[in-house]
Amino acid sequence: MAAKLGSGTRNKLYRTTWLALLALTVVMLLVDRSSLPRVAFLAVVLVAMLMKASLIGANFMHLRWERLPLTLMVIVGLLVTGAILFGLIAPDAVRISAMRP
Amino acid sequence: MAEAAQQMLDRWGGGVCPFEAGWRKVMMWVFIITDGLLFAGFLGGYGYARIMSTRWPDQAMVFDLRLIALMTFILISSSATMASAVGGTSHARRAITLRWLLLTALGGLLFLGMQAYEWTHLIEGGARLDGNPWGDPLFASYFFLMTGFHGTHVALGVVLLTTVAIRWAKRLASHDGVELVGLYWHFVDLVWVFIFTLFYLV
Repeated sequence: MAAKLGSGTRNKLYRTTWLALLALTVVMLLVDRSSLPRVAFLAVVLVAMLMKASLIGANFMHLRWERLPLTLMVIVGLLVTGAILFGLIAPDAVRISAMRP
Repeated sequence: MAEAAQQMLDRWGGGVCPFEAGWRKVMMWVFIITDGLLFAGFLGGYGYARIMSTRWPDQAMVFDLRLIALMTFILISSSATMASAVGGTSHARRAITLRWLLLTALGGLLFLGMQAYEWTHLIEGGARLDGNPWGDPLFASYFFLMTGFHGTHVALGVVLLTTVAIRWAKRLASHDGVELVGLYWHFVDLVWVFIFTLFYLV
């Protein structure tokens, strides 16, 4: 549990997480202004987005200290639903887009 | 108060500490999952509209990304101050926790102020729920839908934070109360990470 950490260690972790989140945001903004190819841009911002989400979930929401079933209940449920939702509708959207004159 | 708490406990009807987490915290996680699914639905619908559209506006032409970056900076920072508030409770340093809680609420208010400015700017520029001057009508629809729902969450979060701060100052709130509002606030920040990336940048 997070409560078992010393206050110094915990504050350091929060500070590091905050700085990492800010650094990732700056990277995303810089990539947005650069002239990277679209695929490379998407790869960088999507990976940075997932890294930010993981940092917030693990360190700020203390999921890394919770029991595994609770952590899995949260992460797997949302990730799988999101993946199924998008996986099922994206091909259809691409198909409709291609049908346009 | 104690009677109401007992009634809630009776309704739960199970153990008081599933997964060693405390039943209230587990309930908050259940709420976060369902709320997360709501935003997953919005983002899925937006993804569909976005891929399908041939006239999606270039975001850089519509939004002031410096303002959005500042809003993101403030929300991330308020999540960090919230984590510090929760961390402070286990050492019972009441004044420090109160300061972090109020700072977090202030971050939320600043974010809301900037969002109100952004909405006003776009509405004056012609953005409506059913159309906009920049391209696909769904662009403004999804903008108002997603940032509106997120902003409502921020506004509710500010109310919750202020309530918990007052209760903490009066010694009515426990560590659990601060932790629960903290989970909610981090979730609001988490949703913004996705909206910021998928709506404003991609």
